Formats: sequence, structure tokens, C-alpha cells
Amino acid sequence: MAILPAQVPAFIGGPVPSGGQAVAAESPIAEPTEIRLKDLRASDAPVQIVARIVSIERREYTRPADGRRRPFLTGLLSDGTASVRFTWWEPPNEEIDRGTIIRAVHAQVREYQGRPEVSFGFRTRVTPAGPADLPKVDSEGFPFRTISELRGRSEGFRLEARVLRVGPKTVTVGAEQRLVYEGLLGDGSGLIAFSSWSDFHLAPGEALRVAGAYVRTFRGRPQLVLDETSLVARIDTRRLPPADQLLTHAPTPLAKLAAAGGSESTVVEGLVVALLPPSGLVYRCPTCRRPVSMGLCPQHGAVKTIADLRARLVLDDGTGTVTMNTDRPTTESLWGVTLDEALDRLRRSPDPSLLESSLAEAVVGMRLRGGGRVFPDDFGLNLYPESVEPIEVDADARARELRARWEATDGVA
Amino acid sequence: MALRETAWRTFAGELNAAMQEEHGTGERAATYLLSPYGARVNRVLMAGILSTPEPIGKDPAQPFWRARLADPTGTVSVTAGAFQPRAMAQLRSVPAPRTAMVVGKVHLYRGGDATAYISVRAEGIRTIEETALRGIYADALAQSLDRLDLVEKLAREPDLPDDRLGTHGAPAAWVRAARESVRRYPSVDRAAYRAALKNVLEVVEGKRPVLAAAAPPPGTLRVTPAEPPPSAPRPAPSAEERAHESAFLDVLDELVDGSSDGYADLKELVQRLAEHGLSAEAAEEMLDRLQEDGVVEEPIVGRLRRA
Repeated sequence: MAILPAQVPAFIGGPVPSGGQAVAAESPIAEPTEIRLKDLRASDAPVQIVARIVSIERREYTRPADGRRRPFLTGLLSDGTASVRFTWWEPPNEEIDRGTIIRAVHAQVREYQGRPEVSFGFRTRVTPAGPADLPKVDSEGFPFRTISELRGRSEGFRLEARVLRVGPKTVTVGAEQRLVYEGLLGDGSGLIAFSSWSDFHLAPGEALRVAGAYVRTFRGRPQLVLDETSLVARIDTRRLPPADQLLTHAPTPLAKLAAAGGSESTVVEGLVVALLPPSGLVYRCPTCRRPVSMGLCPQHGAVKTIADLRARLVLDDGTGTVTMNTDRPTTESLWGVTLDEALDRLRRSPDPSLLESSLAEAVVGMRLRGGGRVFPDDFGLNLYPESVEPIEVDADARARELRARWEATDGVA
Repeated sequence: MALRETAWRTFAGELNAAMQEEHGTGERAATYLLSPYGARVNRVLMAGILSTPEPIGKDPAQPFWRARLADPTGTVSVTAGAFQPRAMAQLRSVPAPRTAMVVGKVHLYRGGDATAYISVRAEGIRTIEETALRGIYADALAQSLDRLDLVEKLAREPDLPDDRLGTHGAPAAWVRAARESVRRYPSVDRAAYRAALKNVLEVVEGKRPVLAAAAPPPGTLRVTPAEPPPSAPRPAPSAEERAHESAFLDVLDELVDGSSDGYADLKELVQRLAEHGLSAEAAEEMLDRLQEDGVVEEPIVGRLRRA
């Protein structure tokens, strides 16, 4: 997919004297040899790199010399072998889009928190480059990793996984509409969401070898990002467990989920031990669906709100807890009260806390199973379930299991 | 991170055996009750027969209610006050014994002679059906056995590192609790608790009611000094004395439950104890001692209740 506009202006870093040429271009020093990002080491010697801008942000700082606010660019570069943060002092005025491939000559390498970073200063010459200039990477050159071993900022690895879900999605990047392919990969060790900026014609069920992708953190969970530099190859589909085996789960103990930092797709089971506010009747902005307080949407100001039902249920299995947020249909079916009935009750006895109490009465103590994406935040695990069902305990089956366990250990302990 | 405390699945017998606490550090730190059987709990989820609730406390502006939750391993007090309005409403809503589930925070009160009184400050109470009860007991039994296994393994080999415990999937919190249990209760007989859990198994199997005919002694009386008291004011009660004590309190509880004002009549109590083979003199002596220990009080002459 074309990322660069048809005409790419040749931007050159460094202060450009009015009517003159870039200073760095006249540098008498021989060009440093091109180096892969994975081989970068902090040193005084300048380097030459070719890489794609993965993320970019324009910021400002106060220059100590004259106290003036000056812009600089910062973000992430990747060449398929690794990704590094960059800082671009005195950048050109033109907008530089994410996805642009650049060649930087005479870049400086520093180290920050044990990782190399590059900075482009007045000596550095930055010019646009093309995909052909990026290093050719070979998947065998990357160490093998399983999904469970991936963390935010992992990169330079090789992965074998099955596509479990994939679908296109249109996103707006700057002024541009772009198509990304989002989905889910699984390898038996775990599941990871992916987002591909390039169309690899992926289909559910395929087994892949992926190299040169990187991991970022998205809503509290790692997400694999594929782009043009990533290598994607189909492998023998029998090398991985079948899709239904990767996706269907017995309920995962909540302590295990907490230790793993959540899951892209899982099933949890527990008793509802509490109902957290705000639950019951809530009012939302008609445009963005945000909860509205005092008729004021944080985004859209004074709005005519729409009533909705929700429940924030604390599910507890004795090993941990998860907050399960249910939407209106699920809340209605668990409560046995519809939105209209709730509004009617409110008209008859205008005390919203009675509604919340009634909902709590109905749900606390329920044994529920919920499925979906579980992600952590500052207060613990959260689930916006794709499915919720009340569970009937098979007490006789549980009794047989426990009896067998008892007979196996009784007298030993 | 202010993570929510997990509701540990446990039984009255485990809470009543717990004599020690651990205070967390930092702002709004939680307090944990440490049991000899591998629990380090702040919040619990329990089930059993919840007795008729009674109001306690004298200030009508600060209502406070209490009931007793009995399961096959023992009995524990369940309280709810004005700070838990929903739990209090639930507790008061059914003026008769029922099968119930209780979620709440454990609270340890230590009497003058290292006697521990455990209560559960309820956050949520639900009347439940038999199947639901068996389900909760099945979870609680399986988890209690897992924790006991961990504790016993560590009691045999205290220096075993976590990765060699061979307990894949055991929550880190359980491993930590088991280590603490072994450290704090070096000489507790855990086999007795296992035996009590066998009754739970039979309830899960549907072979046994929650409370067998012979109710276990009330939990608050499991008097095991945490450390040897510096000066022993009197010899430890003999097995016979303890049996008498528990009979005394059983009868007391029964009379209190059956009374309208929440007190047991002293004369009636002495009469009933005679049926248990306790002389009037011995009963008086017992009462004196229990009053001294802060277990029983007599705020109105001739009218008794638990302190």
C-alpha cells in the first residue's frame, strides 16, 4: 500500500541558513556505513540508518540559549530488525507522516534506560527513502518466541501462530484514510491481537510464520503490529493446534489471568460478590454514548441524554476477581427488568438508588460465566463480555471429583 | 494499585482456628487474618445456616445486627451495621434461620487472655438453595484442600523454593499464605481440620445436612494461646472443663436464640445445665470464669448473653 504522497519533498534536517544549503551536506567527513537498528550501540561515532517511522509526534522545548520555544520530533523507528526511539532536533516545518521511510546520515546513538536511541542533530542529513532501501530480513535470523513470551516493546523475533480472526477496518491516520487488518493469533501458549498495516491476504485458520513484527501495548494488553517490513509466510497448518482448540477454553482461574495480565479471548467463571457503581440506570450522550452527569457530556456539552442500563459486576472465583461490565440486553436478562420497566419504577418511586438495590438483590450470588477480552487497569481485571450465561452447578459431578480426590489422598496427609 | 481483595472460600473452622493478623503497610492498608490452614484473608465468601438475626448495640441511631453462620466445621458471627445498609437490610429481612451465602470482611477481636473472636462484617448476604450451597461448598472444599496440601508440603520442607513446589497454577497469594501459616503456626494439628472437612464433602454429596444432630462447639471458644502467656494465671482447662464450657455456651446460645430480648435467663440456664450433668455450683464457677475471660456478660442481674 502506498503510504507516501506522490511527490515526496526532500526534507533535510538541521538549521538551513537562509538562501544557503544544509550545513551537514557539506560535511567533509566520509559517510558512515549503513547499520541495522538491531546492531546500534551507543557511541560517539555517527551512523547511517534506513528505517520506517512507526510513530511520530511533534513537541516543543525551551531552548536554553535564548529561552525560545523550539519544535522537535520524537517517535519510533523500525527497520524490521529492531525498533528504536528517535529525537529529531530542528526538524523541517513540513508534516512528516507515520509510515515514511527515511535515510539518516550522521545520526548520533545514545543509550537511555539500557536501550539505544538515535538523535538527528544539525550534522544529520535526513532524506526520504523507499521500501527497496530497507534491509532485507530473513526470518531465520530472528530468535523464536511463543505468544506468551511477548511483552510490550518486544521486537526482532519470529513467531509461529494460527490466524483465528481477521477483518479489515478503516482508520484515519492524519488526513488519510487507511485500511488496517485486525484480528487474533494463537499458538497454544496464548493469544495475541494483531493489527496489520499491510494486506497479507490473511484468512482465518491459516498457520503463519511471522518475523520482523513488533509489539506495542494497546488498552493494557500487548498487540502485534505487522507492516510492510514484516515477513509473513504460510507454514504447514498441522504444526499448530486447530483453531477451535486454541479458542475454546474451560474457565481460566482468575489468579492465573491476573498473573498473565489478562487475555485476548478467554472464559471466566465465578460468583457475583458485589455490584459496583455506576450500575443500573445510566444516562448517555446520544452522540458518543459516554455517561453524562448533570446533562453535560465531557465531549459534546449540554445534550439530551438517552437512558440505558448497565451493570458492573464483581465476579470472584476464590482466586481472584474481575469486573464484568454488562450492556443493556445482558443486564436486562440478569435482572429480569427491562429498561422501560426500570424507568416506570423510577416514575412511581423517584429514588434511583432503589433501582440499584433491586439490581444488586437480583445479581449478587449468581454464578456466571463470561467470555471475551480481559484486560488490566489500575483497579484489577476488566471484562466487557461478548457472552454471559448463568451457570447451574452440577453438584453431583463436583461431589464425585472431590470424593475421588479424597480417596486418593486420605490417610496420606 | 488498589486491587480488590479476593473473597476466599473458607469455612468457620478455619477462621476460628486463626489467631494471628498481618497489618498491611501504606495508605488504607488492609488487615489480613492468617489461618493455620493456609489462608491469608481479608474478605471471605462463606455459606451455611444463618441464625435468626438479633440487634446488638444500644444506640438506635447506629443499628447493628448479628447472626451466627453455622457450617459443618463450626460457627462464626456475622454482623452488619449502618455502614453496610444493604447487607443489614438483607440480614434483617428474614427473621428465621435459613441457608445463606455471606460475603464480608473478617474481623478479629482479641480478648484479654489471647482468646480470638472472629466475626464477619457482611457486605452481601443472599438466601440460597441447596444446590447453590453444595456448589459453594464444592469450590471451598477444593480450594481448602489445595491450600492444606501446600501448607503440609511446606511444613515438611520449609525451604522449598516456589518453583519447586510442584503446584502449577496455585495462585501466588496461596503460596505466600502457606509459607506464613507454616511460620506462624509451627505446631498446629492440621489433620483435625481435614477430618472436619470430610463432613463438608458429605454435604456436597448430599448425604448429610449442613448441621448434623450434634452441633459442633461454637467457634469463639477455640482457645489456643498464640504465644505461651508470660505468666500463667491458672492451668489450661482440662478436656472435661472445655467440654463443659462448650456445653455451657451451647445452652446459652440456645436460650438467647429462643428469647425475645436477646438474653438467657440464669435460672433456666442452670436448670438446663443440670441435664448435661453440670452441678449448679460448677455452673456458677464456670460463669464466673467466662465472665472474667470476657466471653459472657451479665448486664442485668440474672440475665446473660455473650460479651
